[in-house]
Amino acid sequence: MNRILLIDDEPDILRVLGISLRADGYQVRTALSGEEALAIFARETPELVITDIKMPGMNGIEVLREVKNIRAETEVIIITGHGDIDSAIEALQYGASDFINKPVRDQQLAIALQRAQEKIQIKQQLREYTTSLEQKVAAATREIRRRSNFQSKLIRSSNDGIVATDEDLKIVIYNTGAERIFGFPHQSVVHRMQIQDLYTPQIADLIVTGVTQENGLEEFAWQETSIVSKNGDIIPVRFSGSILHEKGRKMGSVAFFQDLREIKRLERELLKAERLAAVGQTVAGLAHGLKNILHGLKGGSYLVDLGIKKDDTEKLKSGWDMIKRNIGRTSELVMDLLTYSKEREPEFEDCFPNEIAVEVADLLAEKARESRVEIKKSLDPSIQQVAMDPRIIHTALLNLVTNAIDACLFDEDTGKEWQVVIATTLEDDNTIRFDVSDNGTGMSKDVRDRLFTSFFSTKGHRGTGLGLMVTRKFVEEHGGRIDVASTPGEGTTFTIHLPFEAAGQKKENIQQEIKKR
Amino acid sequence: MGKKVLVVDDDPDVRLFNVTVLEENGYTPLVATNGEEGKNLAKHEKPDLVILDVLMPRESGIRLYRELKTDKNLKHIPIIMLSGIAEKSFLRSQKVLAEFGDAPVPEPEAYLEKPVDAEELAATIKKIIG
Repeated sequence: MNRILLIDDEPDILRVLGISLRADGYQVRTALSGEEALAIFARETPELVITDIKMPGMNGIEVLREVKNIRAETEVIIITGHGDIDSAIEALQYGASDFINKPVRDQQLAIALQRAQEKIQIKQQLREYTTSLEQKVAAATREIRRRSNFQSKLIRSSNDGIVATDEDLKIVIYNTGAERIFGFPHQSVVHRMQIQDLYTPQIADLIVTGVTQENGLEEFAWQETSIVSKNGDIIPVRFSGSILHEKGRKMGSVAFFQDLREIKRLERELLKAERLAAVGQTVAGLAHGLKNILHGLKGGSYLVDLGIKKDDTEKLKSGWDMIKRNIGRTSELVMDLLTYSKEREPEFEDCFPNEIAVEVADLLAEKARESRVEIKKSLDPSIQQVAMDPRIIHTALLNLVTNAIDACLFDEDTGKEWQVVIATTLEDDNTIRFDVSDNGTGMSKDVRDRLFTSFFSTKGHRGTGLGLMVTRKFVEEHGGRIDVASTPGEGTTFTIHLPFEAAGQKKENIQQEIKKR
Repeated sequence: MGKKVLVVDDDPDVRLFNVTVLEENGYTPLVATNGEEGKNLAKHEKPDLVILDVLMPRESGIRLYRELKTDKNLKHIPIIMLSGIAEKSFLRSQKVLAEFGDAPVPEPEAYLEKPVDAEELAATIKKIIG
């Protein structure tokens, strides 16, 4: 910073100024002409040039321009003759740092030098600062690019569908996971679709409200819902989302979708597998029931043999009856097993649930009488014709009422007046509740826990453990629910909640509805 | 008049079968359709043998068996258990009851698991009471 190239065509001035500057601690090179000066400058590029303006050959202005050409940040001080304002202005225009008048005074030179030095310093600092700033910007840019790449890779490779919108609800991010769920290709969605085009009204409303309204909900916790894909398929998904902010202003939304198709399929498979496993267990569990039937068949054959041998029609007849009864029990058992192991869609048709309850009560009236049990009915008259699966209601009530009668029969408290109550209640606009209560033996917690889970029976030769399993399967296939409440020694109430549709609708519509649920 | 054999079973088929086998082999059958009835008949008729089912309504065979085997007037009556329940399940249930403070009871004179042939049943009865 302390190298100076001094140019003047007058050797005296060069010498005097040179001495003075060297005395101030500068390294000074001198040149008697612009040409000589430029040669030195090109070799040594001193930081500071002091040049006379009027010189034969190359003048000071030309030197200034050349120097600035070679190294723009060089400070050039011009020495002008007295009153040569025009040249001074021209010099300033070409980037001279300063000018001093002849004759050069030490003080004036010192000031000009100091200013030039300050400028050089500032420039140097600025340069360093700029360089470091540029480096920092470059590094930051690299980092941002890396992060942005990382994030877009993250979004791209996410298994979940990710869909983001700007504040105008236009979709700006739509990843591969979303493509898989919604079925629309990326290029037809991003910047082309609004969320209303992609989401179901239910989800779209949430987000539209969140983005556009001051007090709209802004975080949507994971919830199960469904979307409609490009092909019109209803796809079960888990959805969550949130409204995005930038400096306190809403800037868009993001939503996450998890495809539940596979999970739902596995759940169904699992349910089926469990059921088949349960059927497998029955082979062991049913052994007891089968033994009873076989025993009956053996007994029957024995009586028939005896009847033939002794020509005793009565024995023959009772033996044959016994065989027929046990064949009946076999077929019931096999039908129950088949019903249980097969999947069945409920078949909705118009029916009167109360009438079905009456039918079941009539069907079991005799069995109840034999067991000293009274069947009572408490039917809600506001239940009219509805669309449900009447077979499911019938089977479920038949099983539950049979169980209820058996619960009285197995009751050891013989002082009771046993009764079974069948009740129907219109629970709400689309649910009917059926209650089957008895005041029989009741169940311990242990028995209650095992009720629906395995082939489990407390009924001796009467039970296969299938009735309740079939009942629950039917009820669930119908979109309903079965509950039980029981107190040992006091009785049991089974409650079924079954959804229904208005009567007189087309069957397919209802089937669709059930599927959606 | 042959020896008296009490049949206790809630299944009408089993009762008919057992009764027929008894008659064919010269015994006098007595019939009860549940544990409660069975206990009363055993007390009043003092049968020579009881053929008893395990799972029945109104007092199970498990309880009736205990009552018969712990009653000083009845404990000498031999009992044939005839059931679809496996013998070891029946014995385990008796053991559990004993662990819960009931008196221990001896094993039955015979245990027949259904299905049983008429011949097998007759032979078992004969072996026990002749």
